[in-house]
Amino acid sequence: MGKFFLLAVLFSPFCLLESQAEDENNAKVSGNANSVVFKENTLLPLLLELASEDNEKKADVVSRLAQTGEPRLEKFFELYRQGSVYNWPDAEGNPRIVVNEETVMDDDFNEFAPLLDPLSGQPFLVAGKQAKPDLLDLVDISPDRKLRKLVNASKFLIRLFSPDYETRISGVKKTGDPPFLEDALPTLKEIAEDSSEDEKVRWTARESIALIGFGKSSSNLEETESRLVFLEELAELNSLRALARLDSFKTDISELAQSGNLSVSDYDGFSGRISKVESSLADHRDSVELSGNLFRGLSYGSVLILIALGLAVTFGLMGVINMAHGELVMIGAYATYEVQRIFGHSADNAEDHYYLVALPVAFLASALVGLLMEQFVVRHLYNRPLESLLATWGVGYILIQVVRLRYGDNIGVNAPTWARGGFEITQDVVLPYARLYLLALSATCVAFLYFIIRKTKMGVLIRATMQNRDMAQSLGVRTRNVDRFTFAIGSGIAGVAGYGWTIVGGVTPDMGSKLFIVDSFLVVVTGGVGELVGVVCSGLGIGVLTKLIEPMEFGDFTIGPVWGKVILLAVIVAFIQFRPAGLFAPKGRLADRK
Amino acid sequence: MNPQFDKLVGSKRAFFALLLFTFVVMPVMYSAEMITVGQINMIGRYMCFAILALGLDLLWGYVGILSLCQFTFFCLGGYAMGMHLAHHGGPEGIIDGNGWKIPACLFVVYPYDVGESSGDALVPGFWKPFWNLPLTVALGLLIPGLASFVLGYFVFRSRVRGVYFAILTQAIAVASWLVFCRNDVKLCGTNGLVRFDVIAPAESLTTFNPVDAKDKWIESHEGSLDQDLNKDGKLDQLDYSIADVGFSLSSDEVRFGLYLITAACLFGAFLLCRWVVNSRLGRVLLAIRDDESTLCFFGYKPYVYKIFAFSLAGILAGLAGMLYVPQMQIITPSNMEAYRSLLVVVWVAVGGRGTLAGAVLGALVVNLLYNYFTSQHDFYFFSWNPDYWQILLGLMFVLVVLYLPNGLIGLLDKVRGSIGLLLRRNSS
Repeated sequence: MGKFFLLAVLFSPFCLLESQAEDENNAKVSGNANSVVFKENTLLPLLLELASEDNEKKADVVSRLAQTGEPRLEKFFELYRQGSVYNWPDAEGNPRIVVNEETVMDDDFNEFAPLLDPLSGQPFLVAGKQAKPDLLDLVDISPDRKLRKLVNASKFLIRLFSPDYETRISGVKKTGDPPFLEDALPTLKEIAEDSSEDEKVRWTARESIALIGFGKSSSNLEETESRLVFLEELAELNSLRALARLDSFKTDISELAQSGNLSVSDYDGFSGRISKVESSLADHRDSVELSGNLFRGLSYGSVLILIALGLAVTFGLMGVINMAHGELVMIGAYATYEVQRIFGHSADNAEDHYYLVALPVAFLASALVGLLMEQFVVRHLYNRPLESLLATWGVGYILIQVVRLRYGDNIGVNAPTWARGGFEITQDVVLPYARLYLLALSATCVAFLYFIIRKTKMGVLIRATMQNRDMAQSLGVRTRNVDRFTFAIGSGIAGVAGYGWTIVGGVTPDMGSKLFIVDSFLVVVTGGVGELVGVVCSGLGIGVLTKLIEPMEFGDFTIGPVWGKVILLAVIVAFIQFRPAGLFAPKGRLADRK
Repeated sequence: MNPQFDKLVGSKRAFFALLLFTFVVMPVMYSAEMITVGQINMIGRYMCFAILALGLDLLWGYVGILSLCQFTFFCLGGYAMGMHLAHHGGPEGIIDGNGWKIPACLFVVYPYDVGESSGDALVPGFWKPFWNLPLTVALGLLIPGLASFVLGYFVFRSRVRGVYFAILTQAIAVASWLVFCRNDVKLCGTNGLVRFDVIAPAESLTTFNPVDAKDKWIESHEGSLDQDLNKDGKLDQLDYSIADVGFSLSSDEVRFGLYLITAACLFGAFLLCRWVVNSRLGRVLLAIRDDESTLCFFGYKPYVYKIFAFSLAGILAGLAGMLYVPQMQIITPSNMEAYRSLLVVVWVAVGGRGTLAGAVLGALVVNLLYNYFTSQHDFYFFSWNPDYWQILLGLMFVLVVLYLPNGLIGLLDKVRGSIGLLLRRNSS
């Protein structure tokens, strides 16, 4: 039990970090709740003013509404534009703003209108029942043509004023996409110059302004010149979105040149400037793609390392091929799911604490299964690797089927809220938090294992048993206990791998044998048996190599994941020609051990 | 009798009993309608697996090499035969620009490039040798043999052994499965090769391409052909399929015949393997299993023998695949999945590794069990759910590895020994 206490202590700093993130999230949520109430009080009086006859006042109300940035108004504006919003004065003649989309008819052909609340979209309740007045009681307040245009624009403008960062930035981004919204330009300029605004939002606003300018049609020299100026500004901004629209611009100006609206010398000048812009943008795109692929490679490598670590322990240190290792990964993932279920986490209920608890639970669950496996199967097969391979494969097969009978074929583990989104290190290079977390997790596991094996007394015993079992035994080492402990640690780390995997990938009963086992064995084989350094190097190497090979193109043939795998395998077979025992081969007598 | 022959067959009584059972009792039972042709067909398919298992037993039981990609070689042979059968099957045979018949299954998943209409799709070049049956049989043995030779050459020469070899071959099994699943390798993707109708039509024996076959057919129907030619003087697609006259794969006689051929091949493969392990070569193979380093000191090059054994196992796997496909009438990449090759190891382990007869026994027993337990059964106290089969299989595997290292054959020997002991004690 003492060993597990040690584990808990080791992992606790990790847990603390997470819980801080939790608290911040909670603070955000409660802040939002307050602002909702506050908004309700300001929005409703504004809405009531829509009932007035004065068109200018109405226009003023609409733009003030848009500036609140309230997301629910988007739907309301749409309804208002369609003319589904009515005034239903109460007994004293005070206006009430209501929504009616469909009417119902009774047997006497009287039309009734079931009403909805303008903001929530829920039934409009009077005395606990949905109000259903006669259609004739409703006053039509639908906007005129001019106002309708304004309302339509406001639908998008709302997003620009939204207090929510994600909504705001997506709104700012969308205005730069066709069909362009010229009405948004003044607001965009305000945002671009607002020094209190987030840097990313301001940048996007500048990009969108330039894109709107660039997206105008041109029929003569001046207009083309102004488009080009915008384009050059985009090139300065390194805008990837501009790159996709270059082609249409090129066809535009070549058409102009053909129809004679553009002289040949002007056309050549323009073409030269365009190709300069194009090459600078393409350079930016290539560097973004390269760094993206490198990061994806690192992150894939970290998953491989996480899985191969446990294998390196059982295979490298104990001489046992654990084909059920993938299933131990799967058990870690299902333990995470089970914890999530117990905590009642769902898409609506962002209960992130589960993820913190799931880490030790996943570790313990897999370690326990590993311990049972060791006791009943593996212990009879030490140093008979081929037999151990077969028997553990049988165990894995049983585990898969048992889990499948219990849970069905597919379950969903929701990533905790803090793992959504990503961190943008430089422009357009986004590192997803989930992947970063995996990197950190696997680094921690490597450090943890290194610590256990190199710095603790248990580690000394493990190494002694591995090097010479008989001698260790005769010196009084309880090799049985050492075996149990080592196998449980290796299995537990597999569980942690499964736990980590849940935030980036799907969870199925056969995930272990389908996704990981072959790749992670290759990592161990390439790295050399019994060396943690080997696992880390070959894991990262294989990960990065895979992700660099996959997107390569030759003519119209893209390598893609399948051929990438084949090439990788060929590389590994070739590599083994030169270093049959892997990167970090055991030397001396150890090398002769089968 | 000849002592060498005795050595070859092992237990003479058992060998002749099995021979009698396979070639006399089964046909008699079939003609007396005690078993259906479906069951005969099933036994025939399991005999193909037994041939596959023989190859693995030679490798694993005698040389100590565990290969986890035997089903890949099986599928190489199977696909060779499948391409042949697909050429001559399928009613809606469509002819490409070169006058080559596009097999129906290829036509369905043919990945057209942009601008390439179905009219100008061409049959890929590597399909073409498989028009001719003798060539197909030769290639079906040669391709898996060559593949295993090349793989063995690179792997054994660099002294990859034991577990490393097992893992490497498993990776190869996974990679080849992924490749065969793709549509752009033009082997029909995950659908696999289907639409087989006939085997060994005359045109597949005498000609090497459909153009010759057509000419020949026209020649032999001189005079009676006018109404079958359209206005260009070409044969209509529909009429063209009349040229396929062979043995229909759906007829009972042909299925029974295939069973007999498979059984003959199984006995042949068994004798071949026995011959190999009893020869001087076999002694070297055993020596590799028991102590490779010492063998090296005697001046042998173990990798040469390993490559030989691996190639032989590959060829046997290819043969098994070729016999399997006409009986199963479909071949899909799912046969290549990594777990399939592990199943072969289960068969050998259950039957008894290093006995050859055990491999055959294991393949038949495990597959018959599979056949029984993957359907619903109601026993007295509980009802068997087909989903439990995998648990049973896994359990069987663990128990055999732990408690029955010599498999069923070992168990039989033990039982026979103790019965003999009992009898002797009683008589004395």
